[in-house]
Amino acid sequence: MSFLKLENIKKKFGDATVIKGVSLSAEKGEFVVFVGPSGCGKSTLLRMIAGLEDVSEGRLDIDGRDVTYEEPAKREVSMVFQSYALYPHMTVFENMAFGLRMAKIPEAEIKQRVGEAARILQIDVLLDRKPRALSGGQRQRVAIGRSIVRHPKIFLFDEPLSNLDAELRAQMRVEIARLHRNLGATMVYVTHDQIEAMTLADRIVVLRAGLVEQIGSPTELYDRPANIFVAGFIGSPKMNFVSATVLGIEGGAIRIGHPSFVGGSLSASPRIGGPLPKAGDKIIVGLRPEHLTLRSDRPVLTLTLDLMENLGGSTQVYARSGADSVTLLTPGRPAMQPGDSFGAGIDPDHIYLFNEDGAAL
Amino acid sequence: MAQSKAVPNRGYGRWTPFWFLAPAVSALLLVGIYPTIFALVTSFRQYNITRPRDGYPFIGFSNYASVLTDGTFWTSLGTTAQFYLTVLPVQIVLGLSIALLLHKPGLGLLKSLARVTLVVPLATTYAVVGLIGRLIFNRDFGVANQFLDTIGIGGFDWLGSTSGAFAAIAIMDIWQWTPFCALFFLAGLSMVPGEIEEAARLETSSKLAMLRYVQLPYLLPSLTALLILRSADVLKLFDMVFVMTRGGPGSATDLISIYIQRVGFRVFDLGMASAQAILLLILTIVISRLYIRVLYRENY
Repeated sequence: MSFLKLENIKKKFGDATVIKGVSLSAEKGEFVVFVGPSGCGKSTLLRMIAGLEDVSEGRLDIDGRDVTYEEPAKREVSMVFQSYALYPHMTVFENMAFGLRMAKIPEAEIKQRVGEAARILQIDVLLDRKPRALSGGQRQRVAIGRSIVRHPKIFLFDEPLSNLDAELRAQMRVEIARLHRNLGATMVYVTHDQIEAMTLADRIVVLRAGLVEQIGSPTELYDRPANIFVAGFIGSPKMNFVSATVLGIEGGAIRIGHPSFVGGSLSASPRIGGPLPKAGDKIIVGLRPEHLTLRSDRPVLTLTLDLMENLGGSTQVYARSGADSVTLLTPGRPAMQPGDSFGAGIDPDHIYLFNEDGAAL
Repeated sequence: MAQSKAVPNRGYGRWTPFWFLAPAVSALLLVGIYPTIFALVTSFRQYNITRPRDGYPFIGFSNYASVLTDGTFWTSLGTTAQFYLTVLPVQIVLGLSIALLLHKPGLGLLKSLARVTLVVPLATTYAVVGLIGRLIFNRDFGVANQFLDTIGIGGFDWLGSTSGAFAAIAIMDIWQWTPFCALFFLAGLSMVPGEIEEAARLETSSKLAMLRYVQLPYLLPSLTALLILRSADVLKLFDMVFVMTRGGPGSATDLISIYIQRVGFRVFDLGMASAQAILLLILTIVISRLYIRVLYRENY
């Protein structure tokens, strides 16, 4: 039985429907990440699970109990906010103890639980400080500590790392992953950062404009994106899309024509299956920057160099193929000049295909 | 060249700021600082304007000595303290309740209407409040007695009885100043960051705990300012009470400022009245410092 279950959840603000019917479920101990561009409704969805936002329609179950209209404090969830939301007039200890005191837990147990959480998060020396005397990273640890001590059924994270600098963000990401492994707790995490989504999640829910685009493990989303949106959202740098035409079907493979393809065409097999396109149909070819190789023995694409960004160990190459721009990520520092023409190769297994409507083939 | 480096070109002359500030400063000098200094000087003089031939000689602290040994002064101060302790708790509790109601989300239009309505008592002149009070608490045709009639208690002589008159001025003061407290607290409540309130909502469903542990700390600066303003205000509350009761019946509503006015403009002993006023000023400052020390916390 699923631990967290959303059934056709909708959210309306006046006439505007921002969540247009989301159904999903999570198992106990699972790490679920909601990801999507800003305005996709991922935070609203999380806040509805927390109870901070009313559910307009649908049903929400936590641990087999209908909590659709339950008060936030009675849902046994805890939340880590983007702004940390620590009580400024309380010490770190009091911040972490507040929820427990409200729940009338004996003081001795509070001490023990807070101490334990502080040890896990390495903030035991900060317990007597006020939040304003803490750095951003320390505040975030306290906010996480405040969640841990309550032993909630579900941990909710609302973009918890976006106020931290890049280095600290990477460090906290690892710590949250470790925390999840050690506690074995169910976590729901909202982010717009697809790297956080890829590295933390057991399952990613990709949202767009209030609807679920795809739910799956990070590998699934990377290897078998359901549509162009997911394909473009997961992976960095973004996947390249080249609009081409179907020339014909040869066995299981589709023969695709485009002036930039070496020899004018290339052959690729669909990953997902479903109805095959007919000759003459438009087709979109997806190529991940990291799969494209420079100086290949069997180049597939002919490109014109636009610009190169030296990342030190690797180079991000911006090139053009006719009207479409193509990005490549290549190790080393290739010696090329803007305007140079060059060939790029790719393993045919790494070619993604989408039909005209954007659905994956 | 060296000089032009030392004095940066700010685009205005040396005296420009002075001229911009001059009107405000001179107005302040005229209506605030000069009278205070005048009162301070007068308080050390024998200054009775009905007896100009006596002159206005300096008599040291003897005005202060008379004030401090004057039983009526202490009685009036006591009445004022009683008034303060009666109205302020009611204003704070009512004001906070109104603020909490207005702070709750929803009903946007009605709430902005309510907020505007709150300003009406504040914008009413004290003397007018007094006049309204006289009408409301009139024994024969006032609405207060009409209301009492409907619940079966009739003919209460509000302004003619000691407890009635005190209650009447207290009610009018509460009417006038509760909205002020409400607006102050509302401003304080809106200082609480939304995410902090939400974090608390996840930890407790008790509204009282929320108020006590999360919102109240943010209200302390408002509360301090409010207590200081109200103490100063009650100590100089004059017009409304004067219009309603003139301090009577007997000395039931003889607040300190009414008494000072009587000493100053009935007895015309301005030296004594000034000494009383200066003592009140000192009292106000002491009370304010006390509130700041006990209640005020630096902003987070």
